[in-house]
Amino acid sequence: MMKKALSITLSLLMILSLVVFTGHVAEAANDTIKIGFFAPVTAPSAAADGESALNSAKLAVKLVNENGGINGTPVELVDLDDGLDTTAAANIAEKFAGDNSIAAVVSGSYSGPTKVAAPIFQEAGKLMVSAYAVHPDVTGAGDLIFSQSFPGAVQATGAAVVAAEQLKATKIAIIYVDLDFGTTQVNAFKAKLEKDYPNVQVVYEQGVSIKDSDMTSLVTAAGASGADLIYSVNYYEQAAEVLRQVGMQGLNIPVLGTEGADSWMLLEIAQEYANGLYITTNMNRDDQNEQTQAYIKNYREEFNKEPDMVGASVYDAFQVLFEAMKNVGTDTQAMKEFIANMKNFDTVTGTLLYYNAEGSAVKPIQVQLVTNGEYHYFGVVDDAQIIDPANY
Amino acid sequence: MFLQQLINALTIGSLYALTAMGATLIYGILGILDIANAGAYLVGAYVGWYVYYATGSIVLAFLVSMLVVGLLGIFLQRAIYSPILAKPRTLSIIPLVAAVGLFTISSDAVRLICGPNSKAYNLKFPMEVIRVGKVTIQPAWLMIFVLTAILLAILWFILNKTKLGLAWRATAGDREIALVCGVNTNNAMALSYILGYGFAAAAGIMTGILYNNITPALGEVPSYKMLAIIVLGGLGNPLGTVIAGLVIGIAEVFLSVYTKIPIPKDAIAFVVLIIMLLVKPEGLLGRRNKV
Amino acid sequence: MNTFYLFSILATAAIFTLLALSLNIITGYAGQAMMGIAAFFGIGAYTAAIITTHGGNFFLALLAAMIVSAAFGVVLGVISLRLQADFLAITTIGINFVMEAVFNRMKITGGTLGLTIAKPVVFGVKMGNKQFFILAVVFIVILCLLLVKMRKSWFGMALASINNDPAAARSFGINVSKYQILAFTIGTAFAGLAGGIYAHRMGFISASDFAFVVSIQVVSMVVIGGLGTIRGPIFGALLITSLPEILRFAKDYRELVYGLLLVLMVRFMPQGLIGEDSPLWNALTKLWRKLFPKKKTRADLIVESVKGGEQA
Repeated sequence: MMKKALSITLSLLMILSLVVFTGHVAEAANDTIKIGFFAPVTAPSAAADGESALNSAKLAVKLVNENGGINGTPVELVDLDDGLDTTAAANIAEKFAGDNSIAAVVSGSYSGPTKVAAPIFQEAGKLMVSAYAVHPDVTGAGDLIFSQSFPGAVQATGAAVVAAEQLKATKIAIIYVDLDFGTTQVNAFKAKLEKDYPNVQVVYEQGVSIKDSDMTSLVTAAGASGADLIYSVNYYEQAAEVLRQVGMQGLNIPVLGTEGADSWMLLEIAQEYANGLYITTNMNRDDQNEQTQAYIKNYREEFNKEPDMVGASVYDAFQVLFEAMKNVGTDTQAMKEFIANMKNFDTVTGTLLYYNAEGSAVKPIQVQLVTNGEYHYFGVVDDAQIIDPANY
Repeated sequence: MFLQQLINALTIGSLYALTAMGATLIYGILGILDIANAGAYLVGAYVGWYVYYATGSIVLAFLVSMLVVGLLGIFLQRAIYSPILAKPRTLSIIPLVAAVGLFTISSDAVRLICGPNSKAYNLKFPMEVIRVGKVTIQPAWLMIFVLTAILLAILWFILNKTKLGLAWRATAGDREIALVCGVNTNNAMALSYILGYGFAAAAGIMTGILYNNITPALGEVPSYKMLAIIVLGGLGNPLGTVIAGLVIGIAEVFLSVYTKIPIPKDAIAFVVLIIMLLVKPEGLLGRRNKV
Repeated sequence: MNTFYLFSILATAAIFTLLALSLNIITGYAGQAMMGIAAFFGIGAYTAAIITTHGGNFFLALLAAMIVSAAFGVVLGVISLRLQADFLAITTIGINFVMEAVFNRMKITGGTLGLTIAKPVVFGVKMGNKQFFILAVVFIVILCLLLVKMRKSWFGMALASINNDPAAARSFGINVSKYQILAFTIGTAFAGLAGGIYAHRMGFISASDFAFVVSIQVVSMVVIGGLGTIRGPIFGALLITSLPEILRFAKDYRELVYGLLLVLMVRFMPQGLIGEDSPLWNALTKLWRKLFPKKKTRADLIVESVKGGEQA
């Protein structure tokens, strides 16, 4: 009996300490606009993206405050680390959802955490803009959830057009990461080929775990399949290894990648083997657009690093929110209406043409080519039939 | 393509053997599943990277890293593992939790100190890729074969030709009897850790060179895959580990390339392991069951 | 105070408490090194989620989660008879990886896209974190009562003897195989139940939610709390699930501090923070006695004198 009573006391103590700790959130002054933000900063496997995302969020807030904030009111960033863990993301979402001082939320995280957080915000009546999560159902949580980036299917359909028309591929080998990022793109890519380019064949297809760094045997098999193009739907580390193996195994096959390969770290790892890589992405580094060049310049100055797709997407998610707040204030319904009706909004990651009914951004797909160890403009896909995800 | 894939498989298999050797040596003496060995592998790769960038000598990078990480191993053994194991009736999962904690610390310390981004070794080999007909052999692969051979030779020499090695083998055979016979089992444990962590460090650097990429997540895959390999090799048996490493390498490459197995390459090691354990519960070259 | 946030943490804590208690039956009581509990957590989660997304009743789905998970548990129990200690540990790790790959590849589990699950409505109330917390606590109480009863029963004693020395237990005529398999069955059944609640509480599950790291986390909960006790896993689960949130003040050093605490706790109290004979628990018991002295019974006196004799 005594032991039981003791354990109950202990449990109560634990809960009490929780209340004390979690209740101890410093209440800031009300004369700022608070924006909630979460990214996978401490997960070793995602920390590079987490850092890039957090840096860009800080940069966005810093720049807007330097320019007088939102109509004179400064913006405050409330950033929390989700550690790439969905239960942590649920906690964070509840924390923001239950905090009336948070005006809106930006997700700088991957699909899993974002997908879990989205319905919580929808239910609590909080607006969220997701920066780069690719899961096709993120925006499906409701009308308050927007995505700043295009879903994987759009990008892959564009890639199929590029592969068949510009790169004149007839036999394609596909190596993809075994996650929603990989499978949605592979399915959309193959669907587009089947529909419009029946003469183009997929001769090899292999999924690979996100943790696997060895691409040697897959590239050997892809080469032996007689492919004239390798479509690599991988994140930058695996994409870099695919490029290195293609180069070192002496295969003369061009590689087409995705936004996952859009990172300066790919260039660092793959070195000379990166040259000749085509990618579909949302950021055109040669864009003379003021926003883009200013972002690249500011990011370099602030963090002494090269910006990437993840960072640019997060930065843009903030721009979308800022624009809404500047025009209609911080009322959720008003912001929702404003964003849903946004047209031709200029961002770092290209011109955001409009938001479709699902809350997904419609913007042109950039095709970049690596030359002399840098990403450069190769082409753009802006066919309305392809870039509006409502058409899938 | 078959010959090329065989070479691919042997390369990755040798790397696995090298990676799992550290954990094998530690298991042989202490009987613990040391996930933190993957932390040594990660730290070793980073120490090696800094030494290589500071001095430009890859040989020095290997030596310094193996020494530093090996000493770290002895420290951890003295400070953490031995006191835990000294308690009576310790289930093997208890030191495992400590090892998980150490592994978390190592990954996160590396992230905080060295940054979350990829670092590339960019090692310039004094030779080009060898091409014979359609088959290629890359310089990093040759380096893996040579390094694995050298380290295994050194290991064989230490275990079989030195007094310390005799103490190691006696302790691995039966610790109680060894103690009674006057063997210094403490030295054997220290040897296990300096070799075990040193080997892990070497494997970490080699992986960094092979993929030209190290990140704070480098230790994640070895942390579990090396467990599969040391068990397949019969827990604590160095020769078994080499064979098991090669078996896993071959299984991964050939099953993923030539069959439609619905499981990613990465998880094949465990499929092989489970099937083998059901047929032969004591491992490939198992001598006994440690409880 | 933000109660949404509090109940979010409590719901997670309660679900993992259930999971830790079920692992404890296998590892703590029967002494079997089980390192793949997340696989069964996942089997339960997917089973329940598939049933409710196809229009099934929530409670029936939870029942099905228990049954399906336990069915796999029986198989593992049989396998465990062939494998000892570390071989079993690694085999269960392997099962965890294979199951994760299977969840990620099967069509019925939603493949890489995972499953989106609507929140169930029970008695006209849409379940939220608060309701899931209460539900999980109800199951925890039921399981604890069961465990208290079990420990005093023939089954519990048989398990204890198997844990101590299987060979000796066998020589006393205890059917080791039967009890060991039974421990696996009960443990995995409750792990499946925890999974079923988890799936509906999260509203979205994908294969990585049931990865090996989750198993390791649950093992840490049981070990940190104290193997083979009831209070240990409860305390461990509360601590490990809330630590990441409590440590938010440490910002970027959160994971580092977490790892450090894990090592220190095991290093200085390998029997668990409040396990049998842990210094902390002994001190607490002493304190409790001082604050609330009770009349000593004859039996207590005898026990004390025996203990005193041992120490002398």
